[in-house]
Amino acid sequence: MKKFFARIGERIRKRSANHIPFRYRLRNKTEGIVTGMEYKKWIYKLLYAAILLVLLAAVLTAVIPVLWLFLAGFKDAQDVFKAPFTFWPKSIDLGKIAEVWKTVGFTRYFLNTLLLVVGSVICAVFFNGLLAYAVSIVKPSGHKVVYGLIMASYMIPAVASLVPLYANINKLGLTGYATFVPLCLLYGANSYYFMMIKNYFDTIPESLIESARIDGAGNMRIFFSMVLPLSRPIMGVVSIFAMTAAWADFLLPYLLLQDQDLYTAMVVIYNLRSSMANMADFGIDKYLIAVAITILPQIVLFAVFQRQIMGTGATSGIKG
Amino acid sequence: MNKFKAATAELPKTQTTFGNKLKRFLKRNWGGWAIMLPSLVLFAFFIWVPLFENISYSFYEIKRFERQSFVGFDNYARVFRDPAFGKAVLNTFLYAVWSIAIGFLLPLFLGLLLSETVHFKGFFRLGMYIPNIISGIAVVLMWTNILDGSNGSMINGFLSIFGAGPVTVLSDSKWVIPVIVLVMTWRGAGGTVLIYLSALQTVDSTLYEVAKLDGAGVLRRIWNVTLPSIRPTIKLLFLLQIISVFQVFYEPMVMTAGGPDNASISLMYLCYKYTFIDRDPGAGAAVGVMLALIIGALSVVYFALNRRVKQ
Repeated sequence: MKKFFARIGERIRKRSANHIPFRYRLRNKTEGIVTGMEYKKWIYKLLYAAILLVLLAAVLTAVIPVLWLFLAGFKDAQDVFKAPFTFWPKSIDLGKIAEVWKTVGFTRYFLNTLLLVVGSVICAVFFNGLLAYAVSIVKPSGHKVVYGLIMASYMIPAVASLVPLYANINKLGLTGYATFVPLCLLYGANSYYFMMIKNYFDTIPESLIESARIDGAGNMRIFFSMVLPLSRPIMGVVSIFAMTAAWADFLLPYLLLQDQDLYTAMVVIYNLRSSMANMADFGIDKYLIAVAITILPQIVLFAVFQRQIMGTGATSGIKG
Repeated sequence: MNKFKAATAELPKTQTTFGNKLKRFLKRNWGGWAIMLPSLVLFAFFIWVPLFENISYSFYEIKRFERQSFVGFDNYARVFRDPAFGKAVLNTFLYAVWSIAIGFLLPLFLGLLLSETVHFKGFFRLGMYIPNIISGIAVVLMWTNILDGSNGSMINGFLSIFGAGPVTVLSDSKWVIPVIVLVMTWRGAGGTVLIYLSALQTVDSTLYEVAKLDGAGVLRRIWNVTLPSIRPTIKLLFLLQIISVFQVFYEPMVMTAGGPDNASISLMYLCYKYTFIDRDPGAGAAVGVMLALIIGALSVVYFALNRRVKQ
């Protein structure tokens, strides 16, 4: 805890060190297409104001639909799409969230999703990590063939071979929570995570591994007591990616989870769309709240891991 | 030297047989392969085997997801005869055009603007990125409620303030594809902007100085300095945009079910529809094979470009 606060303090100090007061920032701008000198002219100032406005419009476009979703649910069912459009509901009754939570039975579905998320993160880190370790550090002969095979199937989405994939998983004859096993293991075979981890492992100095080997450490020992601790940052990023992906996972869970008790949150809100017609007193307002409830964890996750998520998205140069 | 030769000559001949070679290979490498094995099994089960099996499936008659009898190109013929397939191919083309006009250019434009700002930069970045974090299915469900006109929608409530509307874009075959592309762009643009932003930061600012001394205006500078400097990134993202067009799936599945009258059906959705709605996995596999071939070809180009970016 102490360390945590110390780190935040450090960050604030760093930021204030190269902090330029608001009004001087434009004048001091030295990089980019238009620089500070030119911003003395009013036409450039106008241009800059226009840029800020366009960006503000972009942010509003990005945020308002989500905000609408969160607010519209608090209106009465007949008011959600009512003709004189209002953005704000008359009142925000948080009890409605609890009510929807109970009627839909989200507790069970959230626990299911949590199970999927935890399993997927473990699989993503463990299996891709081991494979990357073998290809990048242990390098048994033939590792290049493995690498080539992974790269060859890198971009082709699993959904393109949906038919045999679905058939093969179905042939396993899994029932109940065992159905979650293949859904989680799927994250253990992810070329994108593999590449991220492998690129990181490539930067670990060979001498370090060599010295451990001389000390008599076996392959697994080196992996668990040396490579894993050294690669905590990239494993963190892969975990976060797998976490968000597993939470959002829809198609395969939708196709494979037949028993309603096993549904994940995404499957539930999709099915709710058709089943809400048969539910007493479950209108569009409550449906919107249900959708908002499933989005909320993603927003929390993002708020917590914002730096990691946005950082890698920008630097890896590859869309997920 | 002679001694060495003599020593090796005395070694038993079996040293070079295949069995021994294999033994030596295993002795040296079994550890590495043992580590890889579990992950390789997963890759094989989830990716490689289905990829090849898919080809086989597409040549078989399939009942209850079991291969029954070899039928040659029958599945393909059935797909080609289906007017929905022609429609899906045409739509893919339309999706591509629209997603280049909107999904490709907009993030580039926003990235350029964002890299120029020195105020509220973090706020803009964050705000634009927010749609990215929401799961695809939730985004699509949300936009269905915003746009779908069948039992009232947010957009029509909003337009009625100005006395306009009502619009029914999702059931209008002319508008459905651009609207779907808009929704996709709404979700994806923030992430793409970040990629452009990091590319734009690497542009050499002395080039701008030189351009300025030559009297180049802002547009000239963008056209002659900025864009050429980030050209590799632009090419890469252009290709990714095209690749993603072939994977349009949740939007037609949830928002329109491919309608109205197949106006928004995509290849990926067609594959799903054949397999799980029409109960014709053979046709689904055939479409899947074609998709994999197209995306495979595109990704070869992608990797060639990517290699150049890294250099």
